Amino acid sequence: MNIGWKEMKKNKGKFLILGSIVFLVSLLTFIISGLASGLSQDNAALIKDLPNGSFYMSEDAEETYNLSRIDSSTQERLLNKEEDAVALSIQMGFLNEEAGKQRSVAFVTATDSTFFPHVKRGEIVLDRSLQEEGVKIGDTLTNNQYNGQFIVKGFVDQKKYSHAPVAFIHMRDYQDMYRALEMQFVFVPDGELSHVIAGLQLFSKKDFLNTIPSYSAEQMSLNMIVWFLVVISGMLFAIFFYMMNVQKMGLYGILKAIGVKTNALFKMMWTQMMVITVMALCLSIAISQVFTQIAPNGMPFHLTMETTIQLSIIFLVIGFIGATLSGIQIKKVEPLQAIQQGEV
Amino acid sequence: MTIFTIDEVRKTFLNGEVKEEILKGVNLSLKEGEITALVGASGSGKSTLLTIAAGLQRASDGQVIFEGENMISMNSEQVRKIRACKFGFVFQFAHLVPFLTVEEQLMLMLDVAETKLKKDEAQKEINKLLGLVEMSHRKKAYPSSLSGGEKQRIAIARAIIHKPKVLFADEPTASLDSKRSKDVMKLIRDLTKTLNIATLMVTHDEEMLTYADQIITISDGQVV
Ligand SMILES: Nc1ncnc2c1ncn2[C@@H]1O[C@H](COP(=O)(O)OP(=O)(O)O)[C@@H](O)[C@H]1O
Ligand SMILES: [Mg+2]
Repeated sequence: MNIGWKEMKKNKGKFLILGSIVFLVSLLTFIISGLASGLSQDNAALIKDLPNGSFYMSEDAEETYNLSRIDSSTQERLLNKEEDAVALSIQMGFLNEEAGKQRSVAFVTATDSTFFPHVKRGEIVLDRSLQEEGVKIGDTLTNNQYNGQFIVKGFVDQKKYSHAPVAFIHMRDYQDMYRALEMQFVFVPDGELSHVIAGLQLFSKKDFLNTIPSYSAEQMSLNMIVWFLVVISGMLFAIFFYMMNVQKMGLYGILKAIGVKTNALFKMMWTQMMVITVMALCLSIAISQVFTQIAPNGMPFHLTMETTIQLSIIFLVIGFIGATLSGIQIKKVEPLQAIQQGEV
Repeated sequence: MTIFTIDEVRKTFLNGEVKEEILKGVNLSLKEGEITALVGASGSGKSTLLTIAAGLQRASDGQVIFEGENMISMNSEQVRKIRACKFGFVFQFAHLVPFLTVEEQLMLMLDVAETKLKKDEAQKEINKLLGLVEMSHRKKAYPSSLSGGEKQRIAIARAIIHKPKVLFADEPTASLDSKRSKDVMKLIRDLTKTLNIATLMVTHDEEMLTYADQIITISDGQVV
């Protein structure tokens, strides 16, 4: 007979309160984690969606990408040695539509590679978000540092940098606009040799993302909230079961006196913790998935099932630890005390 | 037949710095089918003796022999197992599990005692015993809706549902009025006889002694 389950059935109210708090906390965690991932996508999809690899910046740039210059002989050497390596440059800037509307974009130019679209001089390829805002193929766009006009050639999905849509342009156009003959950095995908080169600083993808202003600030604060919520939920379990156990000390003593194993009392508590958590998590998984579907387009929200499952497992583990910690007092209960204390 | 013997049992409590010897070499034995009443002034050590006998606390010295084995030298898991399978307990208060119905209380005890009865067999046992304690009509009730006497009858049913060899009762009638007390005492006597249980009962109610087969008086930590 499962007495943990029987207790929940008899005292639904108490357990429902705990369940609904766990539900709210886990839902909030899922949503914030979805926002964190959505924002990171919105901030740096251009870099995030590259395969794992190494980024080279010049050492004197002090981790600031637009101060970095890679001299052309070094670039030549790197690109020749590593087949898939690509050199690229990024500058934030503006594009003007014919109607006069101004759009903030991140201009990106790169050497030939499979990672970025190929553009000819005078052409421009834009992130899909601009198409959704009304820019069409064949439109002409201007920039006050560029003498000619850009013709929109196409759109690509999920290319954002520093929260701005990316605009891919030809290297010569880029050089005309920014008077910079040298590229800012070189990316070498994993698998190929990544080694230290004099005068260059090596970054992993993660480290490189953190050099983007705002990226690490955003991610750190959101991830901190997520971890706080996870810890809070663990404490919630610990405190709830602690209070319940304190109330039930007498009962535990009697059960021990008639021969119930201490283990069985722990199992009782674990059953309750599992039932509450699983029910609360199922509900918040369902709701967060619905939210993924109906989240407004402009809202950076990106919650994968994988993240949800990972967080759910963490919740279960934390709940288990919290309940077990508070259950240590069950071990200490002496059957005699309970009997001497009178009616429970 | 004697199935339970207490031999030269001593118990010392540490009261601050002072050692106090509450039991000073107690001897007694329990026979199947008999009620042994334990009497004595308040504070004379009756409950201490009963709980030592029942394996709920350890003696400082001496032997507690059950079915030929000394419980003092067993580990706590072995003692727990004996408590679960071979002993039954009734205390001054019923100490029922508040969230279980009357029949679930008994079902729990059958589980704890590892009786391995099939569900319908267990149900049959429960129904039979509830008939015996005249509580069949309340088997779906929770303890909060029972009267003191009803609770105590369920506590007795729980103490014997698994057919223990020894029943320990510490002032089982102290919380009941005199009519209810007699009913409960009669019940304990009948069950002792029909199930051939050895019962050790603490009481300080003179009237209850008429139900006892053996009366042991404790004074100054010794049997007189
Ligand atoms: N755990 C303990 N620690 C210290 N003294 C105790 C403890 N248990 C009982 N005593 C003392 O032992 C004496 C006998 O207690 P008890 O066996 O409950 O008496 P009775 O049941 O005969 O009234 C009392 O003086 C009591 O204070
Ligand atoms: Mg007493």
